[in-house]
Amino acid sequence: MRPFKHIQASTIEEAAALAAHEDVMVIAGGTDLLGTLKDECLPYYPNYIVDLKTIPGLASIEEQGDEIVIGALAKLQDIADSELVRTHAQALAEACSRAASPTIRQMGTLGGNICQMHRCWYFRCPDNRFVCARKGGKECYAYKGDNRYHSILGIEGGCLAASSHDTAPALAALGATIVTTAREIPAEEFFAANGLRSNILENGELVKKVRVPKTANSRFEKFALRKSIDFPLVNCAVAEDAAHQVHIVLGACYPSPKRMTEAEEAVKGGITEASAQAAGDAAVSKVMVLSKNEYKVEIARTLVKRTLLRLINE
Amino acid sequence: MAQIPRREFLKAGTAALAGATLSALGLGSITASAEGVIAEKQVFVYTCPVCGKQFSDFEKLKAHFTGAHQELELPKTVTFRINNVEYDVFVEDHWTLREALIRAIGLTGNAKQMCDRGGCGSCTVLIDGKPALSCSTLAVECEGKSIETSEGIAADPEYRPLLEAYVRNDTAQCGYCTPAQFTMAKYILNKYEFAPTEEQIRLELSGNICRCGTYARHVKAITEAAAEMKGGK
Repeated sequence: MRPFKHIQASTIEEAAALAAHEDVMVIAGGTDLLGTLKDECLPYYPNYIVDLKTIPGLASIEEQGDEIVIGALAKLQDIADSELVRTHAQALAEACSRAASPTIRQMGTLGGNICQMHRCWYFRCPDNRFVCARKGGKECYAYKGDNRYHSILGIEGGCLAASSHDTAPALAALGATIVTTAREIPAEEFFAANGLRSNILENGELVKKVRVPKTANSRFEKFALRKSIDFPLVNCAVAEDAAHQVHIVLGACYPSPKRMTEAEEAVKGGITEASAQAAGDAAVSKVMVLSKNEYKVEIARTLVKRTLLRLINE
Repeated sequence: MAQIPRREFLKAGTAALAGATLSALGLGSITASAEGVIAEKQVFVYTCPVCGKQFSDFEKLKAHFTGAHQELELPKTVTFRINNVEYDVFVEDHWTLREALIRAIGLTGNAKQMCDRGGCGSCTVLIDGKPALSCSTLAVECEGKSIETSEGIAADPEYRPLLEAYVRNDTAQCGYCTPAQFTMAKYILNKYEFAPTEEQIRLELSGNICRCGTYARHVKAITEAAAEMKGGK
């Protein structure tokens, strides 16, 4: 890694003020950031790294009325093991327990997982060799190049990279709210793909905590090449809200996690084997397959059906 | 205690032997025998990162640095507690814990550079009892933390049955991933109170990739060690 200066923040406000500067990046678990710095895959390299781990009180998992409030620095493994989350937001607990490898789950934080950058191999190519649409360039190289892991549901902002966070679809399906230093954002809007970032955070805005409404019935499923440690090829979260409406969110199929409203229509009358199948079909009814990723359509169809059936059978 | 032939002895246990030559690489190193990794027997040599001059304690090195290399900024000092011994070492802000272990301390066991991106688990150490990837942890963020590596576990008489089970089952083929797997083994034994099931072992070791395919041997070794150590506890 090229040299940088390391600063330890003591409050989130201090860290946010520092993060507003151009040559500053923030570090929590570090599992994503240090890799990108070693590869030098971004158009810029920071002069300062601000450590968020020294900020007290941001790693808690608490019950507050009808909500579970999870600090941005809560470790993925701690969320996966939390009895509170497992009971009232099962999809999130399952998503956290399937993200990355056991060791990375001990290091990686929820805030880091939802703010990680996309995992397109053109975007992340070492030494910034592809100035792609995501970096402000003109072209998405995946369109003509190797796109086996890319979006099947279309293009957004000229980019075809698939979102790769496991917790994102779970939070979107559960209707969580992301609390930042400046505002509160519904999870579904938070993950809108936007240039370099995989979310709509402004410069100098940091995630403080995540508020998850207690949900009795929710599930998460993930399909990856290696079960033990890999990013998802497709992941899917479903949750039944207080009004008994089923939310279905597909991840890794689009530059952001995508709510499948047509699939939700299909299970309006209740989830059965037939309606789950219909929901799966509806989810992939409008796909835009690229030269090498047609196989993901079948995985997405099956995963929607499988996750819905788990909701009624378990 | 069974005698283990030197040839079969884990690399982890003997890593400290290389201390003398490693000092050229960095700032300090352990020069001691395998058994000497245990706290009271070890000798730590502090080496100046600029001119290579050696000192017996950190204060002397610091005094030398401020005197002889005035034109350079004094590097950050970090205090690690590695295998129950405290070390003051010079580290750079951008050094990962893996780099600090090999350059500043001279411990090679868990400081393996494989993928260096957190994908293989070859550099796993225990920080405050929890597994962490030393390639994806900054050294300056480990100030005051307790770090355990395979060298310490191999030298710990309490974990001798684990080491012996590892040797007996020939878990090291090329041996590159073994120190990290061995470190995870201690974590697994403690987490599941010396009675892990095969499924639990496989789950916990799933982030440690072995290209030789020794996975089954690790499961066997840990199961055997667990059975032996549970009785002895």
